[in-house]
Amino acid sequence: MKLTVSQAQLAHGLGVVSRAVSPRSTLPVLNNILIATDEGRLRLSATNLELGITCWIGAQIEEEGSITIPARIFADLVSTLPGDKVSLALTVRTQSLNIRCGTSNFDIKGIDAQEFPPMPIPDLASGVELNVADFKDMIRQVGFAASADEARPVLQGVLMEINENQMSLAATDGFRIAVRNAELSNAIANPVKVIIPARSLGELARIATDGNETVTMVVPQDRGQAIFHMKDAELVTQLIEGNFPDYRAILPRTFKTRTIISTTEFLKACRQAEIIAREGNYVIRLKIQPQEGGPGAVEFTTQSEEMGSGEVVVDANIEGPELLIAFNVRFLSEVLEVIGTPNTILETNANNTPGMLSPVGDESYKHVIMPMHLG
Amino acid sequence: MSRKILHVDLDAFFCAVEEKFDPSLKGKAFATGGSPEGRGVVTSCSYAARQHGIHSAMPMIQALRKYPELLVVRGHYKDYTDFSRQVMAIIRELTPLVEQISIDEAFLDVTDLPQEAVEIARDLQKKIYDTLGLPCSIGVASNKLMAKIATNIGKSRHTGSNYPMAILYIPPGTEKDFLAPLPINEMWGIGPKSAERFRALGIEKIGDILKYPLPWLQQHFGKFASDLLERAQGIDNRLVEEYEGVKSVSNEVTFFEDLGDRQLLLRTIRGISEKVGRRLRHKALSGKTVRVKIRWPNFETITRQITLPQPTDQDKVIYETASTLFLKEWKPGKKVRLIGVGVAQIGDDYQQLSLLDHSYEKEKNLLDALDALHERFGKDAIQKGIQSDNYRSWKDA
Repeated sequence: MKLTVSQAQLAHGLGVVSRAVSPRSTLPVLNNILIATDEGRLRLSATNLELGITCWIGAQIEEEGSITIPARIFADLVSTLPGDKVSLALTVRTQSLNIRCGTSNFDIKGIDAQEFPPMPIPDLASGVELNVADFKDMIRQVGFAASADEARPVLQGVLMEINENQMSLAATDGFRIAVRNAELSNAIANPVKVIIPARSLGELARIATDGNETVTMVVPQDRGQAIFHMKDAELVTQLIEGNFPDYRAILPRTFKTRTIISTTEFLKACRQAEIIAREGNYVIRLKIQPQEGGPGAVEFTTQSEEMGSGEVVVDANIEGPELLIAFNVRFLSEVLEVIGTPNTILETNANNTPGMLSPVGDESYKHVIMPMHLG
Repeated sequence: MSRKILHVDLDAFFCAVEEKFDPSLKGKAFATGGSPEGRGVVTSCSYAARQHGIHSAMPMIQALRKYPELLVVRGHYKDYTDFSRQVMAIIRELTPLVEQISIDEAFLDVTDLPQEAVEIARDLQKKIYDTLGLPCSIGVASNKLMAKIATNIGKSRHTGSNYPMAILYIPPGTEKDFLAPLPINEMWGIGPKSAERFRALGIEKIGDILKYPLPWLQQHFGKFASDLLERAQGIDNRLVEEYEGVKSVSNEVTFFEDLGDRQLLLRTIRGISEKVGRRLRHKALSGKTVRVKIRWPNFETITRQITLPQPTDQDKVIYETASTLFLKEWKPGKKVRLIGVGVAQIGDDYQQLSLLDHSYEKEKNLLDALDALHERFGKDAIQKGIQSDNYRSWKDA
């Protein structure tokens, strides 16, 4: 293998793939990045067996070949190289990579590329085309509601369902559920129902560049994997097996009190309250007060034994009976950050049943939060 | 102005107390702790014993293999607690700014006292020795970190079979230079395991830490890195704070006869858990930490605890957590002398309700009903089937 690449592109490519490196793996080759020539481009790949990322960058290739190189060393080195052209050459006998740039000349020992786990090759014709910007938006609105609790793997994932041209993403940590629906431009033949690790989707959102680009999702039959293919990058993720909770049965259908409130004001109230609430239990109380013949108000209160207490009042359009309900303030802030419309609807029934937040004028997003019980 | 912080550490405390009751032990190589047959460990050992390579936390059987003439003295924990209290009382006469960190260690902030810090240390050491006959070592420095290290180094410079009674002063401004040549394991908070990690990275001495840039340290030690850099320079701004006695609700049972039966032990834990839960609910409190205390027949006592994702006041959660903690320590047949269950990190009762799992609400309704019945008709009016056997043959402590 012998080739020349731009330092900036190489550094960018390493940045893309290095999040899939498993730094503490017992399998040494997983600490490495695969570097291989691939049809006139240079391919960089990393995997931790759950998540694999590949990135292609332009290169002037003189001689084909491949090698794996310790990720940290390679990334650290490339980021400090002075010039704009980097020459890479493999010494097959010693399995070491010579890196030359300006007056710098390094030899790094690698591991044979044969030992690197093979990455699946997607059958792009069987894939579903998704608009990158829309899909990233969906991930942003749903992914954060997934659980971080390793004891419940199913909840660490995002449920993706596609039927004809209807697609939905849903995630829940047991305390809240985020659901986002979207319409695809083309209907697909075979329905899809998979649970994708939220972390993998987060990485996908990170590496997928905006613009009109599309990402093609391929779910090979019975492989327990999903592959997301883009022009310059590809992400493979293991799917989570198991039964996702039947969230549609949990979403409340009717509500007694309906509050329409400015999203920014709501978020501001939560952010202020959190300054006090974070010192205690993250509890924020909402006193929803309708007013006869006019707009009502929501009174947000918080208190912490050590820090003190606070109160913020925000005008709101309220229909239905008055209610005092407590939530985890972080749960509210997180959803308000992604609601995306000037006004938010908060729908509630009682202080021990779920409340629902959704954007005004947009049926595609729903977020249900269970309240906190105060003794 | 720099602060004046003292770290007081009683020398071989348990042994020193034993010597008071049995002066013939003076100068001899002896250790307190569990019997070698009962898999006991050395809880404290005399300086004469240390010269034979004995150290605390060593299994007693290993200690005896090292030095077969070692005298093993059964510990008298009540006496240790009594003396500890008296020592702390003497310390508190000096200043109210005392932070007791264990039965035989405390920090004092004496910045406001007019005398030189070393002089204060010398007087205090003398007073504790004259009043109670207990030797102690004191580290004197400008912060807690350095004071603690000063005590350790002061003690380690001492050789011989009598008590070190060391006083070591690290003047302000010399912290960094003092630390630089010390082996990495002398840093407070770095145990043998982490010391291995440091050595593997080429960090042998505390001063070596400063040779590395923060980003590199962050890569290896994460959030701990910036603390590490500060500590390696001897910087520590933590205050000497009176440790508020952990607010907790707990209960324990001492068995008349050491008990090794799994079912009976678990049933005892269930009983104590219910009592603790009832007391929490009665005060409308919840706690986030569940703790078990186990005393083995050799009087060695351990506590194990776990912090829950949410606070609880429910018997079931307390029992399930406590029994899991217990079973991690207990082997079938192993006898137990005392068992205790406690809930700490107490605060207001609040609960994030779940969308998927309604066991909290169900259990709450059940407990509310049971508590109401107990309130009206007394404790025996109703109880869970699993507890219906009479288990009052053990003393309820």
